[in-house]
Amino acid sequence: MKIVVAYAWAPDPQEASVGADGQVDFSRAKPVVSEYDAVAIEVGRQLATATSSALVGISVGGPATGTPVATKAALSRGLDEVMVASDAALADAGTTRTAQGLAAMVQRLGDVSVVLTGDSSVDSGSRMMPPVLAGLLGWPVLSDVQKVSVTADGVTVERLLREGVQQVSVTGPVVLALASDATQPKAPGMKDVLAAGKKPVTKLEVADLGPAVAEGTVVSTAKLTGPARKGIVINTADPAAAAAELVGALRAAGVIGSTGGQA
Amino acid sequence: MSAYVVVAGDAGITEVINAAVKVGGPVTAIVVGSADLAQQVAAPGVDRVVWLGDPGDKPIEAYAPAVGALVVAAPAPVLSGRKPAERVLLGGAAAALQAPVVSSPMDVRSDNGQTVVEHGVFGGIALRTTAYDGPVAIVLDGGAAVNGGGSAAVEQAAASATTSMTVTSLQPNTATAADLGSASLVVGVGRGLKAQADLPIVEALATAMGAELGCSRPVAEGLEWLPRDRYVGISGQQIAPEVYVMVGISGALQHMGGCRGAQLIVSINTDKDAPVVSQSDYVLTGDLYSLVPAITAALS
Repeated sequence: MKIVVAYAWAPDPQEASVGADGQVDFSRAKPVVSEYDAVAIEVGRQLATATSSALVGISVGGPATGTPVATKAALSRGLDEVMVASDAALADAGTTRTAQGLAAMVQRLGDVSVVLTGDSSVDSGSRMMPPVLAGLLGWPVLSDVQKVSVTADGVTVERLLREGVQQVSVTGPVVLALASDATQPKAPGMKDVLAAGKKPVTKLEVADLGPAVAEGTVVSTAKLTGPARKGIVINTADPAAAAAELVGALRAAGVIGSTGGQA
Repeated sequence: MSAYVVVAGDAGITEVINAAVKVGGPVTAIVVGSADLAQQVAAPGVDRVVWLGDPGDKPIEAYAPAVGALVVAAPAPVLSGRKPAERVLLGGAAAALQAPVVSSPMDVRSDNGQTVVEHGVFGGIALRTTAYDGPVAIVLDGGAAVNGGGSAAVEQAAASATTSMTVTSLQPNTATAADLGSASLVVGVGRGLKAQADLPIVEALATAMGAELGCSRPVAEGLEWLPRDRYVGISGQQIAPEVYVMVGISGALQHMGGCRGAQLIVSINTDKDAPVVSQSDYVLTGDLYSLVPAITAALS
């Protein structure tokens, strides 16, 4: 049996810069295995150890995804091996194309019981990849998973939803998106980093991932501009005076009532 | 053109219907949930309601293949809200259609047979306008609940759920669900607050203002000081109040992406160089432990 973790090697958009024309420059943003994906790898490690399964990382992305720095970073988190497809053609791949590549990898690996993912990807954050991946595999999928335990014929999961804590029993293979606090991932130690260099890395070509889906055509890009902000700095040397000035300004703007509360 | 709206146990889909109407009618709503919900979804803008059934002891997510099978029979753009089960049903549709996915649309329109979407990218740091020739899956904030009043009749479809998943227990959440999205005043608290025991300082301000209490993501997810439905951000609640008072929040992109629609932003932060400073209407640089009680006092 194999347990698979889908991860991304992606930069944090918070470190990117956006030009006046809306072009995003990631050159100064360093790609990482995100905290979300680290949670998925850690949970995968626990499940794989408990069930004597192999833990395989899979990733689809731009050229950086296949570099030794990237694969070692993922492997040092506790994966036994990784399978990656890295190509310039995949750098700006959308959710569905990425999910398609991951699904091809899961099918190629075979004998997979669970595919784990992080809560959301650090770069897109739409949280749509696990549902699309599951749809392509024809497997069920659950998100916001706090706990996973392996049963005789599948898994039992606990999810924290708006409605409450839900327990679901699943038979057969499943895709699970973990909540960001499902576990506290450990930082890899020196031993993990050294061992990572010796673990197997399988590289696939774009052609191995099946025909690309039709992505949309980008018509234009723009810098995101929020409403103009006033930027009024209130002197806080005297907190009471500062508070009075703020409350006065908000009342004058008619957004709070004269005795507090809503206007 | 035509469009599908996917409904997963929740009638909060006003914005989804509005966007579907802009993509172009007729609009077909595909509903997983109670019979009552199916009736509620028959709201203005919806031309047809297809009810797949009440999930019973199945999670709503078990209907994703059924949704996929339905839309692939007559491909068209598919839209949904972004709650967990909604995303899964939409993902089932996207997979069946092999359709690209686009999130956080600012505007949607139909143009010469194409679906044109203006949307945020990379967590909303930039805007892109993308045109799609074929079906596309669009995920957006659902908005307020609908409650019938339209002309569509509810048709029941013969659909079955995936049998491999069963809900074995649900411990209902006793806390009242926060509704930050429609609040006109919101006070948000971040990691500038030193301890959970200090929350009453910020709660008192919210009470004095008549505001809902929100927070940054770490306060809800890492520290768990407040329920998760109270964190504001790109991946959390998207708010558009008249006033948003940010207490001890530095203003990272993740957070600001969730409150861009606020009419007035007040920031109270010790760091005069925090990103929030350049994105505020009123900036109070200083200790929240003295400033917040002073504002509470000034309000009462």
